[in-house]
Amino acid sequence: MASQTPAIAAAAQIGPRARLRLLVGATLLIVLTLSALAWPAEARRFPEGWNLGLREPVDAFQSWVITSRASNPIFTLGFDPLRGAIDGSLRIVEGGLLGLSWLSVLAIIGLLGYLGAGLRLALLCVGGLLLAGMFGLWEPSMQTLALMGCAVSLSLLIGIPLGVAAGLSSPFEHRLRPLLDAMQTMPAFVYLSPVLLFFGIARAPAVVATLIYALPPIIRLTSMGIRHADPAAVEAARAFGATPRQLLLRVQMPLALPEIMAGVNQTIMMALSMVVIAAMIGAGGLGREVLVALQRLNVGQALEAGLVIVTLAIILDRLSAALGRIDLAAPPEAGRRDLLANWPTSAFATRQTNPAYAQDLRRFARPINAALLLLLILLADVALLHLGGFPAGWRISLRGPANAAVAWARDNLYQIGGLPIGTGPLSDTLTIYLLNPMRNLLLDWLPWPAVILAVAGAGYAAGSWRLAAMCAGGMLLIGMLGMWVPSMDTLSQVVITVLVSVAIAVPLGVLSAQSPAARAALRPILAFFQTVPAFVYLVPVIMLVNIGRVPGLIAAVLYAVPPGIKLTELGLSQVPTETVEAARSFGATRAQLLLRVQLPLATPAIMLAVNQMIMMVLAMVIIAGLVGGAGLGLEAVIGLGKNQTGRGIESGLAILIIATILDRITQAWAAQE
Amino acid sequence: MLICRDIWKIFGRAPTEAYAALHAGAADAGRYADHVVAVRGVSFRVQRGETFVVMGLSGSGKSTLVRCLSRLAEPTHGEVQIDGRDILAMGAAELRELRRHTVSMVFQHFGLFPHRRVIDNVAYGLEVRGVARRERHAQAERMIDLVGLTGWGNHLPRQLSGGMQQRVGLARALAVNPAILLFDEPFSALDPLIRREMQDELLRLQSSLRKTSVFITHDFAEALRLGDRIAIMRQGQLVQVGTPEELVLRPYNDYVRAFVKDAPRARVLTAGAIMAPCAPSPAGPDGPAVALATKLEQALPVVAAHDGPVAVVDEAHITRGHLDRALVLRALCN
Repeated sequence: MASQTPAIAAAAQIGPRARLRLLVGATLLIVLTLSALAWPAEARRFPEGWNLGLREPVDAFQSWVITSRASNPIFTLGFDPLRGAIDGSLRIVEGGLLGLSWLSVLAIIGLLGYLGAGLRLALLCVGGLLLAGMFGLWEPSMQTLALMGCAVSLSLLIGIPLGVAAGLSSPFEHRLRPLLDAMQTMPAFVYLSPVLLFFGIARAPAVVATLIYALPPIIRLTSMGIRHADPAAVEAARAFGATPRQLLLRVQMPLALPEIMAGVNQTIMMALSMVVIAAMIGAGGLGREVLVALQRLNVGQALEAGLVIVTLAIILDRLSAALGRIDLAAPPEAGRRDLLANWPTSAFATRQTNPAYAQDLRRFARPINAALLLLLILLADVALLHLGGFPAGWRISLRGPANAAVAWARDNLYQIGGLPIGTGPLSDTLTIYLLNPMRNLLLDWLPWPAVILAVAGAGYAAGSWRLAAMCAGGMLLIGMLGMWVPSMDTLSQVVITVLVSVAIAVPLGVLSAQSPAARAALRPILAFFQTVPAFVYLVPVIMLVNIGRVPGLIAAVLYAVPPGIKLTELGLSQVPTETVEAARSFGATRAQLLLRVQLPLATPAIMLAVNQMIMMVLAMVIIAGLVGGAGLGLEAVIGLGKNQTGRGIESGLAILIIATILDRITQAWAAQE
Repeated sequence: MLICRDIWKIFGRAPTEAYAALHAGAADAGRYADHVVAVRGVSFRVQRGETFVVMGLSGSGKSTLVRCLSRLAEPTHGEVQIDGRDILAMGAAELRELRRHTVSMVFQHFGLFPHRRVIDNVAYGLEVRGVARRERHAQAERMIDLVGLTGWGNHLPRQLSGGMQQRVGLARALAVNPAILLFDEPFSALDPLIRREMQDELLRLQSSLRKTSVFITHDFAEALRLGDRIAIMRQGQLVQVGTPEELVLRPYNDYVRAFVKDAPRARVLTAGAIMAPCAPSPAGPDGPAVALATKLEQALPVVAAHDGPVAVVDEAHITRGHLDRALVLRALCN
């Protein structure tokens, strides 16, 4: 009796809609198989005659842009001044950072760290920058910092007002949201070509590309902060007759400050994750160091630049988080030794005759003192110190040991003994038994209408007819862009990579949710792979397996697995404690608890994890095009490198379509529960 | 003086049309079934210096009603007059002036500004008015002293307990020296003991300030303690309006009776309300006597100590009636 209950319940759960879905799925499978057998072998790829011919007009447009850049008002009055302004401000910031002596830069960042969270953060900041200098990367680091500073400031300048507007007006937010979604889901490669076309060479396009990527979080979080500002406080302000302006500036904005600062932090992190990609269109700095190392397959060089990027990320993350947290209005805490709290502002305050003024001075003593000290450092730098660049003698290098380690690994791990184990055979196995069959299936075995039908079927199963139609339309468009073959190549890699990632991430996520020890062991590894730019570990991976699709696959798995683990763990940990306790109190075993209670309840969260992994894999597989992954990535790189904007845009659109389809299907799937 | 006439507040996509349909009893009123009628034709007037309590359970529309008085919620229909001025006809600037000078409000969840010190919270109303810093801080200091928070001016609201935070809310409302105070369940977020303490504090302040007040609560005991008159509100309408004593003695229907049932009758009823009246006799009583307005609570020991009837006298010491033990017991257990 008891064993029958779940079956009955399951049968009862299948509604007419689910039954229809099963029916459609089964029919689809039969049709696909039959059509694959019957379809003429030479016509299985998308017909070339259906090409929309987008490339020619885009290339013509590119020529027109190049010839009319000097004369047309769109450029002379629109983009050129903009580019000039961006370039100019970048040059000023960079000139400032490189013009200051290294010691002053260290002092300033240390001071900011001390102001934010005390001595420990100050030491972290100074130590991190020292490391950059000792790797011989002082100048590229300053270039990267300057570019980050410019892109982030511009993001804030544009993003905070937009976020405020979105927070105050729901219609505006609704109109803005799809644009922000697109900016966040679109792989950065997609807009490199157009940005390059409109903003020309030099570093302005790098700033603009970074800006596009880094803008959404500050808008979203500012809007959220304004929306979530304590409604009681907002109503009180209205009740006391505040004007809309008084309400915004003195109540809503201050109340939204924590969210806005979180947005600043997010924006900085997003901008930093663009360092390497931005270097592809001339950003220079640390990103360029990584790219150069990648071309030379110099693991040590890539590792050093990568470590400095990570260090900068950590410093900027902690610093912006700490500075966002300090509460200027809070009364000074007694008993804590604080070098910034006393001299000279409080000495000045004691001499004040007006008590209210003296009190204000005491409240804001820390920031005032910090500002004074900053001024002092700058003056000293200009007047006294002429230290110039970072001392060349202070060097440490990881290149030797890192390169030796990889060489050893290549000699000893590529093939272990005479046995068919090691990274080489692994690579061959992945290629022969997974990647090739999948690509053959999509390209040669299934005729193109069957592929479109299959994707549409997945869309229908996950969501609705509308989604199915959107999927079919998207796939058709890919074919008509002339990107069918590289797209199928990329799609096959994405599918296999996602399967491998899920197979690794979900069990590890479950393990990590069950065992604190596993979680503690995984944490530093996850943090490493999430902060190191993926390009950095692409290099050793290339050396350990052959050039081709496998290094991209492995790098993508490494890139996608950490958030997969984290989101799975999060989903499981958010299962209500009461539900778990209830199951326990009825005597459920650990396995029963996991399989019957926790996993089913965490399914939506796990689906979101899968969605995230797909997006990350997609971003990475494109990058893998650089190292023999072929597919759309290669098309995009060729488009960029050979200045064939038409080709770049076609491949970019194809990437965007695939990303959108996969995103929508998995999101709809996650929302089904 | 505050006068409300036939106030309606309807939430939904087309409130004005919904009001018209409902008001006309139109056949198509069902079309507006998805609208919520929060306030349904409410009228009352509050005298100068009076504390008018609106009591209702959650969802009865009482919070919406109090917001209609200063147009934090825009009434769909009706009339609100403050000292003869029509509130609903005011433009945005005029309305702001009204809120800055005449009407101020104390909120259920305090509505303090967490990023401002206590003194800046209290001075807020003066600040938006454009009062200079020194002057508004001086006034704020006086208010802080008045509500018993001396010395806390430089703290942030989060450093204060709930009761103290609502004292800040009270001081902020008083700082603009308003003609009318609106209270939206100001004490319901507080613990019972603190709530009691804050009620006493408000009574103490009101005994000297005598501000015209509208006080919203869901707690009938609180309404009895604070209100000069009480309006019982249900489903957007006023069921009964009267003094605490009137409600206890003559509840309009079973709904009011249910609230009144547990009322502390000894503390609400007066000797004058339950006495056996007699022809006014100018001769003073020979035995013990109580005043007409004496609460039963105070009259009880007198009646208990005296075997015969106790005289009830008016201000001129003229006997108006008598109390005996049977009368008192009947009044207490009704």
